[in-house]
Amino acid sequence: MRIDVSEKSVSKSDDSRAPSDLDLVRRIKAGDEQALAQMIERYHARVYSLSYGILRNAEDAEESTQDTFLTLYRKIGTFDESKKFFSWFYRVALNQAYSRARRRRPAASVSIQEHLPRFREDGHLAAMDWPDASVAVEDEVSARELAARAEEFIGELPRAYRDVIWMADVEEMPAAEIAETLRLSIPAFKSRLHRARLHVRQRLAEVSRPARRQAAS
Amino acid sequence: MSPRKRRPAEEACHAEPDVTCKRLVMEALYDFDAGTMPEAERAELERHLSACPPCVQFLDSYRATGKTLRALKPREIPPTLARTVFEFVKARCGKKS
Repeated sequence: MRIDVSEKSVSKSDDSRAPSDLDLVRRIKAGDEQALAQMIERYHARVYSLSYGILRNAEDAEESTQDTFLTLYRKIGTFDESKKFFSWFYRVALNQAYSRARRRRPAASVSIQEHLPRFREDGHLAAMDWPDASVAVEDEVSARELAARAEEFIGELPRAYRDVIWMADVEEMPAAEIAETLRLSIPAFKSRLHRARLHVRQRLAEVSRPARRQAAS
Repeated sequence: MSPRKRRPAEEACHAEPDVTCKRLVMEALYDFDAGTMPEAERAELERHLSACPPCVQFLDSYRATGKTLRALKPREIPPTLARTVFEFVKARCGKKS
């Protein structure tokens, strides 16, 4: 298939007459270059953001986005049209990003059991470990610092948890879409998301404690 | 009059033992926070929270974590990315054909 496109074809699409994903898929299969440009326009930001969540580096995220669309173009013939396009395509994007991440650095992750809230034997919480959390997120400076640390803590999660929390809490994708993309049941999705949130919360509580002690001294 | 200083004992959980902090935090917090929990169970957890400052604080920090994560989203997308991607695919597929 030859691709040759004008500047106009990669401009913003007209939403009022926007074709469905399946329309675009069929047209790309048929060699329609305009359809490919529209597909890129529709999904490039989401693919970039998803890739960034895994790679945490703008240059890598950009290259992974390019590879994702190249794979889309080359493998579009294998897409089963009875399935939802976005879930197939997001899996392509995730696989591209993880493939790049493996080449770049060894996967360093911590056990999901390692940083969880602590309870006494009777089932009560052991201590108030982060009492000023809501105050911290309202303060612009500390909120920025917390966000940077949270990104780091998501990065140390095993992949199964990292994908879920990034898609749910950062990308704010609907639960059903995430479950379908990751081929999870809704209960499994909820369980993983909750565990991932507990991990990030616990880690933020841990790094917030020394800051409070310093402020008090 | 200066505010009364809170003693550690007042910060402990005084809830009935039928719902423990562990059950609330580990098993029920997701649905409680998302509002996807049957009303009877929700009322049970509300009763626990009303007598458990550590769980109130935990819920507060759980929600603060969610707010922090949502703040990661507004990231600048490279303005020329769509065109770069298109040109990339075009160049690779041009070589192949």
